[in-house]
Amino acid sequence: MAYIEWKGVDKAFGGKPVLRKMSLAVNRGEVMFIIGTSGVGKSVTIKHLVGLLRIDAGEIWFDDRRIDQLSERELAPVRRRIGMVFQSSTLFDSMTLAENVALPLRKHKQLGHKASLAEARERLAQVYMQDYAERYPAELSDGMRKRAAIARTLALSPEVVLFDEPTTGLDPVSARRIDRLIRELADNLGVTAIVVSHDPPSIFGVADRIAFLYRGVVHVVATPAQLRASEDPIVQQFINGRSTGPMETPGF
Amino acid sequence: MKAWISSVGASAIAYASAAGDLWRVYVGTIAGIVRSFSREHRRNRPRGELARQLHNVGNRSLVFIVVTLGFIGMVMTYQGCLQLGRVTGDYSQVGQQFLRLLVSDFGPTLTALMLATRVGAGIAAEIGSMKVTEQIDALRMSGVLPIDYLIVPRFLACLVMTLLLTVVGGTVMYVAGGLTAHYSFGVNLNTFYDISQVRPRHLVMMVVKAVSYGAAIPVVAGFCGLRARGSSEGVGWATTAAVIGSSFAVIVLDFIISAGALFLTGGDL
Amino acid sequence: MSEERRDDAEAPEAERAFTSLPPAPRPRIPPVTTAKAPESTRRGLVASVGASTVQIAQEVGGIVVLTAQVLRALVPPRIDHRELLKNLYKMGNRSVPIVVLTAFFAGGLMTLQTGPFVKKFGATGLAGWGAGYAVLREIGPILISLMFSGRVGANNTAELATMTVTEQLDGLRALAIDPVRFLVVPRVIAMMVMLVALTVIGDLVALLGASVVGRIMLGIEWSSMYYSFADNLKPFDFLHGIYKSIAFGAAIAMSSCYFGVTVRGGAVGVGRAVNAAVVAAAVSIMLLDFFLTYLTG
Repeated sequence: MAYIEWKGVDKAFGGKPVLRKMSLAVNRGEVMFIIGTSGVGKSVTIKHLVGLLRIDAGEIWFDDRRIDQLSERELAPVRRRIGMVFQSSTLFDSMTLAENVALPLRKHKQLGHKASLAEARERLAQVYMQDYAERYPAELSDGMRKRAAIARTLALSPEVVLFDEPTTGLDPVSARRIDRLIRELADNLGVTAIVVSHDPPSIFGVADRIAFLYRGVVHVVATPAQLRASEDPIVQQFINGRSTGPMETPGF
Repeated sequence: MKAWISSVGASAIAYASAAGDLWRVYVGTIAGIVRSFSREHRRNRPRGELARQLHNVGNRSLVFIVVTLGFIGMVMTYQGCLQLGRVTGDYSQVGQQFLRLLVSDFGPTLTALMLATRVGAGIAAEIGSMKVTEQIDALRMSGVLPIDYLIVPRFLACLVMTLLLTVVGGTVMYVAGGLTAHYSFGVNLNTFYDISQVRPRHLVMMVVKAVSYGAAIPVVAGFCGLRARGSSEGVGWATTAAVIGSSFAVIVLDFIISAGALFLTGGDL
Repeated sequence: MSEERRDDAEAPEAERAFTSLPPAPRPRIPPVTTAKAPESTRRGLVASVGASTVQIAQEVGGIVVLTAQVLRALVPPRIDHRELLKNLYKMGNRSVPIVVLTAFFAGGLMTLQTGPFVKKFGATGLAGWGAGYAVLREIGPILISLMFSGRVGANNTAELATMTVTEQLDGLRALAIDPVRFLVVPRVIAMMVMLVALTVIGDLVALLGASVVGRIMLGIEWSSMYYSFADNLKPFDFLHGIYKSIAFGAAIAMSSCYFGVTVRGGAVGVGRAVNAAVVAAAVSIMLLDFFLTYLTG
């Protein structure tokens, strides 16, 4: 059985279906990209995995355990093993970067205040943010915030890290640095990464496999090379970014 | 020490400039009302906006005012009777004095305090959201003064509705108070509902207070809304500042008007 | 559209003569309000009363559920001490000036209102009785709570609401940290503690304000005011105000946190949440005041 698996997941918002019998399996240690147009349910898919959203029907399995029906309290151990980096970073405004990173350490590793701050600084150094440890999130650029958010997520040494559009809104240089970080996580630490993205350079530069979401289901799962070579007109339209084609894009 | 002085100085300057801005909003509102009588501006005026604001400030606050003032009227008579019982045991004065206080102070002030939380916060939230989503700038770009367009109708609506709601709220307080005195302390209803102690000057005071509060709340709240900056956080700050600013304005105005009346009437309120 | 055309027809000729081009359409004025059109004009009265009843029931239910969660989070009392201390400091710091000012004016007002009456009957010895009694039992706790709700409660709602709309609450949940335990519980405790402390301070300041105004405006001597307080006010009057403030503090805290964590829809939503929180706090203060007064006399 796969390490992480969505089985026939349904999800609707206000009567409007987003996911329809969506199934996807992710293996341990791979970097899986989930791609698709805006509003197709990419973020929704990964938020289900950590219980931030609840599915309407179907099953979600993680490490041979069904997790979609767990209560908020029962989810806590799961969330310690699956970290998530949000699109908007979600650093806490009222805390410095070091305090932000120290928070999960203090809460889950039972470290004291001083010890947790010291470890937080080490974690920030791993993402080259040690010089900004005492700054507040509002004073920093998007790329810096994103890196600090990654450091905070990695503080608990999760086995799986979910990235929600990690490179959206960043300049190309910062974006490639984030890409490299994701790749290193998988290669050096054996972390399984699930990345939601529609940024072609990171899709083709980092992914082991790519799941293309279309009309509420996984349209195709392929390696980057396979995807490029695919003759499916919808896939071709997406990866080449053409405005006309067979794709249904609601709202346009 | 030096840092302390400069920080005190800086906040003094900030307060002074805020006070100046507040004053400018007030003057702008009055000017806007005057302008609105001219032909050119009468055409520019958003149609139905005043009616909508009257509805928003008045009708939609009605239940809130009735509930809160009704309960506080009951509590006040209850406490008053309890105390009188402790000291003299004579309840015959309760109704007259309650009504006198109600007309000259509690009615307008408590109504305005309640309106400051509901309407003041509402105005600041609305205008603040427009400010941070750049709708105010869009208004300017289309040649409309934001004060004329946003604050003037709210100002007029508040002026009228504070007075009307004061009358409604005061009546509810009086009725609720009388029933409490009757059922909890056996005060005769005819003795309680004796309006002989109310003098015209009490009514004048009520109108003056209600109108002053009605003028203060939308200006303070609108000012806070127009000062909103940033995004959601800025709107939150603006709304908070509006609640506290307009409530405090009500209390200070109450004090000033009451003290002024005391001097004018020579200590015989 | 018909209104725009009519406006152009009315425009004076001189304005048009400068150009042979057709007159530019009047600038379209953007929508005035972010609020929806008044509901009762869109629906029948009965329907709108029903809708607001349902909404109030939902909000009350939500606050009850949140209260239950807070109580449950207190069972092994593992409160985040840093967050608690931070909030205590912040809330106290923020609200002391406004509460002190309000209390001073409130005390003065009570003397202004009761003083002339007392004087008319020549009973200056009772001036402190009227003012002090009203301040300690009713006006003090109520006004201080209302100001506290406006300053601290509204601020807290704005802060939590901003955190909610920027997904910081989801961020906490994703780190396996319970937002109720980490954010809401310390804030509720801090608000309740602070309001009691502020009521104690505010009561004293209000009595001072009553004396000052009595001295300056009504010519009542300091000493007679003092003896009037000392003779007529009982410790129970003071306690009556204090335990009311405990209940008010809980009400303010719960409604402020509830509207903060359930906010929806960006900046507009945050403003509405703050508005709803202060209104709910004001209503619950009045209702609680009524029931507590009746229950305890």
